[in-house]
Amino acid sequence: MSKDKLFGLVDLDWRFELTKFRPVRALFKSRWFPLLPILFNLFIFVIILLAGFLGGYSAGNYNFGIMIVWILWWVMLMFVLVPVLSRAWCLMCPFPIFGEWAQRGALFGVNMGKLGGLNLKWPKALKNMWIMNVFFLVTTFFSGFFTVRPLATFILLGLIILIAFIMGLIFEKRSFCLYVCPVSGFQGLYSQFATTEIRSKDPQVCKEHKLKTCYLGNEKGYGCPWLLAPFSFRKNTYCGMCLECFKSCPYDNMAFNLRPPGADLLVDDKRGLDEAWKSFIMLGIAMVFFLSMQGPWGVLKDMVRASTLRGYLTFITFHTVLCLLVIPGIFFVFSYLSKVFSGNKEVSLKKLFINFSYTLIPIGLGAWIAFSFGIVLPNGSYILHILSDPFSWGWNLFGTKNVPWTPVFTHSLGYLQGITLLVFYLFSLAYGFRLSKQTFPGLQEAKRGWIPIFTFLTLTTLLFLWLYIG
Amino acid sequence: MKIKCQVFCWFIVCSLWFMAGSSFAQAEKFFEVKAKKFSYTPNIIEVNKGDLVRIRLISEDVHHGFFVDGYAVSTSAHPGQDGSLKFTADKPGRFCFRCSVTCGEFHPYMVGYLVVKPNSRFSMSAAAVILIGLGSLVIVFRKKENEQG
Amino acid sequence: MKRNEFIAVTLMILVTIGTIAAVFSYESYRRRSAEYFFVELIARSPNNGNWYPKELKVPYGKKIKLHIRNIETVSHGFALPDFDTEPSSSEIKAGEVVEVTFVADKRGSFPFMCTAWCSEEHMQMNGKLLVE
Repeated sequence: MSKDKLFGLVDLDWRFELTKFRPVRALFKSRWFPLLPILFNLFIFVIILLAGFLGGYSAGNYNFGIMIVWILWWVMLMFVLVPVLSRAWCLMCPFPIFGEWAQRGALFGVNMGKLGGLNLKWPKALKNMWIMNVFFLVTTFFSGFFTVRPLATFILLGLIILIAFIMGLIFEKRSFCLYVCPVSGFQGLYSQFATTEIRSKDPQVCKEHKLKTCYLGNEKGYGCPWLLAPFSFRKNTYCGMCLECFKSCPYDNMAFNLRPPGADLLVDDKRGLDEAWKSFIMLGIAMVFFLSMQGPWGVLKDMVRASTLRGYLTFITFHTVLCLLVIPGIFFVFSYLSKVFSGNKEVSLKKLFINFSYTLIPIGLGAWIAFSFGIVLPNGSYILHILSDPFSWGWNLFGTKNVPWTPVFTHSLGYLQGITLLVFYLFSLAYGFRLSKQTFPGLQEAKRGWIPIFTFLTLTTLLFLWLYIG
Repeated sequence: MKIKCQVFCWFIVCSLWFMAGSSFAQAEKFFEVKAKKFSYTPNIIEVNKGDLVRIRLISEDVHHGFFVDGYAVSTSAHPGQDGSLKFTADKPGRFCFRCSVTCGEFHPYMVGYLVVKPNSRFSMSAAAVILIGLGSLVIVFRKKENEQG
Repeated sequence: MKRNEFIAVTLMILVTIGTIAAVFSYESYRRRSAEYFFVELIARSPNNGNWYPKELKVPYGKKIKLHIRNIETVSHGFALPDFDTEPSSSEIKAGEVVEVTFVADKRGSFPFMCTAWCSEEHMQMNGKLLVE
């Protein structure tokens, strides 16, 4: 056991098992969970799709679909679901349910036979985050439509559900979720920061259990739909929290743990350029979204909402170049400096670049949380309206139809954003130096090599501070 | 070393506090703000803390609103029917003013900035980031071999 | 196991098809009324299609319930000056529906118009109410 303490307070190896409480374990082992949350979300998304379709071309701020998806859901993802509960959204996501139903031939029970559909293996070359990176980036090209036009949200969600279903028929298990879904990638990346995790309890039990039921499945549960080996996995990124392994493990050796935030950032497993680029893309999108949505520049808004084709293409080009080339390029320069400063000749520049890219995860998440404050505080009050009148038909289900637009706490917006950035900057620093020690063999090298990366992180934080409140 | 660092920190914090707290002579500032889908001209209004701010809102296309974060005052303007607003800028910082009347699909994104100088929110946070960062570097560099954390 | 599977599939149908059916039947229940004659009017700027329908036909002597739906991105208004409408004039925000009721106690053709400056062509945004 190491005595590596985060901020000198919490041991990084500290874990508190939440499933040791019997009701929690019983819940995790029940086949109704996560089926019931999925069905509940399916109910919400049916209303969202209906409202999106019926809302058509009109302004989105009185539309159920737009408000629930882009105000409530997105903000919940950034505030609670990802930073606290890891991939809890994937647990209750209704999008792949139809494909999974078709594969299994059962909604509730466990089908012990071969799974239906073509069950093809996903091509090896594509077993990474690149498709998700591109897919997510391309989705943001249309941010000026689907965050404001109900029909655009309908088309986007409809496409995701359709693709998830078709891919469920063609490829094995949750290939769609693992390699294609646009919202899966950033959740995976940022869930490394989460304060909870699913892990096996005692590795010895798993070692002696020769028939790996968590991978193969048994009559209680399916083999890992996310194609992982639950008995050995070490980081949250690719675990969709479907909880099948809790059901299929005969020894109750799976656990849902509370842990210090960010513990996975130090796990050197499946690290790669794809995950690094995901970090860069998320940073770039946060900047572009802020400039276009919360900035005062009308020219930029006209470009994003495609009032002229030329302007729109300019926006797409700049956005893509910023996310895919400029930010990684600047980071590359600082990584190179880090190598020069450290004086180390053995560590490859690629390894250094990849390892240090994980320092961007806390500050990236912080930037997104701060951005989300600026979305939810001014516009959250619309949610009361749309709950009562989801289709703009003049309904008044809960008596809140006439609640006027009321910005909440916007006087403290600046403070909230400043504090958020500061806190997540601290996490970036704390993990940054640890990553430096992990990358360079000697302590002196790690200290010297840390300086350029430290500078990059500080400048990034200052840039976001200046954007948000300066 | 540690004491020196602390003294330095306090010096910076106190001077920032002083800057934020010191009052400026009240002046009256008048702005003619034109609203057109989906931006304001001027889009950034700069005043000093304590100034009396008067605003005339002129709409150039449809019914637009003008709500100031932090001051919770608002007005609205129809084309040919201007809105007006008067308030004392007694809180420093950068605030958004936003359209408060649905004016089109980008209505939620129609914002401008009111900067009440000195922007102590920003300077304080930035100073905090730099100080904490440098502090952490000092801690890192004082680490010895075999020491964890 | 069989029973649980049945419950699960039933729930699945309820939350998908059931939800859609419930939404539409609630809406048609809400519109059905013995007391009122129901009319729907769609508000759009003139360069975007104008009022639809531009000529509203209602029977003489009945109580009329008018649902005005703004399917656009700007506010519109509605006024029917020759009748005692409730509310007398209204702003219809983008994406909203406003309910206006009145008694069609006069025969003939009467103008109705938009009361919010919705676009450059705002002044052309008017229609006719025919009471027969």
